[in-house]
Amino acid sequence: MELNSIKDAFDRVTKKQKVSSSKSQEAIEQISQEIDLALSRIQSATPQPDHNVILSELKAKLKEMAPLGQLEGPQKELNLALSKYTKLLEKQFNPDISKSYRNVDFDFHTVNQIIASHLYRENMFDIGDCFVNEARVDAVVDKKTHFLEMYRILESMKSRDLGPALKWAAVNHDKLQQNGSDIELKLHRLQFVEILQHGSRDEALKYIRTYIAPFANQHFPEIQKLMACILWAGKLESSPYTDLLSPAHWVKLAHELAQQFCNLVGESIQSPLSVTVAAGDQGLPTLLKLMNVMAGKKQEWQCMKQLPVPVDLDQDFQFHSIFVCPVSREQASEDNPPMLMSCGHVLCKQSITKLSKNNSTRPFKCPYCPTEVQVGQCRKLCF
Amino acid sequence: MDPLPNGNNVAAAAAPPSSSSSKLTESLKLEHQLLRVPFEHYKKTIRANHRLVEKEVSAVISALPHSADHDDAIHHLNSLVSRLQGLKRKLEDGSRAERLQAQRCRARLDHLESADGDNISEWNNTRLKRILVDYMLRMSYYDTATKLAESSNIQDLVDIDIFYEAKKVIDALHNKEVAPALAWCADNKSRLKKFKSKFEFQLRLQEFIELVRNENNVQAVIYARKYLAPWAATYMKEFQKVFATLAFTSNTGCEIYKVLFEPKQWDYLMDQFKQEFCRLYGMTLEPLLNIYLQAGLSALKTPFCYEDDCTKEDPLSQESFRKLAMPLPFSKQHHSKLVCYITKELMDTENPPLVLPNGYVYSTKALEEMATNNNGKITCPRTGLVCNYTEVTKAFIS
Repeated sequence: MELNSIKDAFDRVTKKQKVSSSKSQEAIEQISQEIDLALSRIQSATPQPDHNVILSELKAKLKEMAPLGQLEGPQKELNLALSKYTKLLEKQFNPDISKSYRNVDFDFHTVNQIIASHLYRENMFDIGDCFVNEARVDAVVDKKTHFLEMYRILESMKSRDLGPALKWAAVNHDKLQQNGSDIELKLHRLQFVEILQHGSRDEALKYIRTYIAPFANQHFPEIQKLMACILWAGKLESSPYTDLLSPAHWVKLAHELAQQFCNLVGESIQSPLSVTVAAGDQGLPTLLKLMNVMAGKKQEWQCMKQLPVPVDLDQDFQFHSIFVCPVSREQASEDNPPMLMSCGHVLCKQSITKLSKNNSTRPFKCPYCPTEVQVGQCRKLCF
Repeated sequence: MDPLPNGNNVAAAAAPPSSSSSKLTESLKLEHQLLRVPFEHYKKTIRANHRLVEKEVSAVISALPHSADHDDAIHHLNSLVSRLQGLKRKLEDGSRAERLQAQRCRARLDHLESADGDNISEWNNTRLKRILVDYMLRMSYYDTATKLAESSNIQDLVDIDIFYEAKKVIDALHNKEVAPALAWCADNKSRLKKFKSKFEFQLRLQEFIELVRNENNVQAVIYARKYLAPWAATYMKEFQKVFATLAFTSNTGCEIYKVLFEPKQWDYLMDQFKQEFCRLYGMTLEPLLNIYLQAGLSALKTPFCYEDDCTKEDPLSQESFRKLAMPLPFSKQHHSKLVCYITKELMDTENPPLVLPNGYVYSTKALEEMATNNNGKITCPRTGLVCNYTEVTKAFIS
């Protein structure tokens, strides 16, 4: 796509538009002047000319000027530039991206619910409330409460207050342990460093004993390090542990907290709406090309159960393992699972049955290497 | 090349773009509406200004008197002078509007130009907001649309003012008034004609129906003669059907005629107006959000999304997204794409898949790390099976 040529074409439009409108102004100015002139001649006291003569002279003059005719030329050029620009846009862009749209009932209540959740999740509570009100969305109250709490914790962290975060971690201690997360210890470590910088050694020691010691069985080396820090209370920046002071810890921990929080309340880390729209952005070009090929087969498109072409998405959108049998080109499924042959190559069950001619004891040759394989030795795989 | 299962030419059509810059270009090509809509608006203002000049100038010229007595002549000329002054003032307003609209067109070109690899996530974020505002405007959620646009500072990238023009008509249709809609049709007559729009005819039919409903039969006939007859040649069938309501009246039990009197006809007119309005401004007929969502859902939809252990990160693990995806096709893959259950990373030649004795497959990276941390022991996270790293075998995926 040539954005520069589009810009040039647009500049041409504005240029022609300026010419055309200054011509209009000129024409109007001329007419006013002529009329003014005639007026002053009629009104002038001496010598008294016949006002009817002046009027007809004015008329003749205006006719001769043909002001509307003067406008025609520039107007034509402007129209040309306008239609050229429209055509250029149509050529350079996909003029109708709704071509691949399936005319199905796309329930707007559901779409509205998704939008409301998205707004809350993105910390746009005011706009979310406004939307819920205006679009009369219901049943997103839970999400709002969750995300309100999450952003309250994160906001406090931004102003270096770990209180709400620590409280949340304590309440969810068991669940966090279960998920194998050490975020609680990380929060305590950060708090400990804060105390060490501003508070007394005693206080820091007390903090370690009360809050950090319980983690000893899993994180012993880490705690040893923190203990050593006490030696440098108040001047941590000149210690070997100066890295602990880096503000990056706060940013990273806030991010991790958001992830753990979402995980605990059963939400995804990314907004599902953002993910889907981003996937749509990557998929649309392929689908639109497909529609060009399928032009005239709209009916067929409307009832297709599977896309006829692969839509290539980035790895971020790869949520599931898809195994495609290299022989049959079919996607593996529960009835037709992937099977590992003794040589290490993998085919779908149906392909193996076919290759063995449905005889489980007769060996067959792997299509990818010289190995002789028996059906009985093939193992089902789970990805 | 392998023979394809459904063997038609469709499958060969689309070679997906590979590099990220060509992906960006492809994605920018979807932004036709972003540039087209403000341009249509600009064009409309230019045309209106020009028509104003033509009309007024020719009016002034033809209003020049042939002869008049002295005082009349002066009075007449003075009135023409003030008329021209009025025109000048109006043109100044018009040029101001033109300038603003041209500026908006430019802002959008600049916005497209600003997209590059470095700010792409921010740009995508803005795109989502633009798409949401577009959806809200089309659904008549004006307050939220305005708020969202203001809070994100993207007023120049969305078409709030244009949709406010539609709002007047929609509100009126909501109150069962057709006058603003008819005025809008008159304003855009030539373009509607070009699209062969029958919206005006449909409005007229509705007015006729309302007359019949109120048993103003004589007036209804007069109305039909004046406003419906010119369309009759093109839409004879509908014309006949609606005209027959005169015989059936509004309390008819006959299904074909009964529906014509139902209030949902007004909703239908409203939808019809929205379609015509979008067409006129070069917008897509469906909200951008729906288009992107459908494409995204199809691309993401696999049979695995519906299994119990579907990851939360997959939008299709959520009931609402599943509901939307129901009537859409599944995605298709020509080649295996395997994701490690533990690390969520792609298993390819760099990070090949390894098979545990129980048939479960994980990436080399994941198992190697597990083995180093646990003295060569591996625990299958899905079945709890413990085995030695030496027991795993390689699988070759082609």
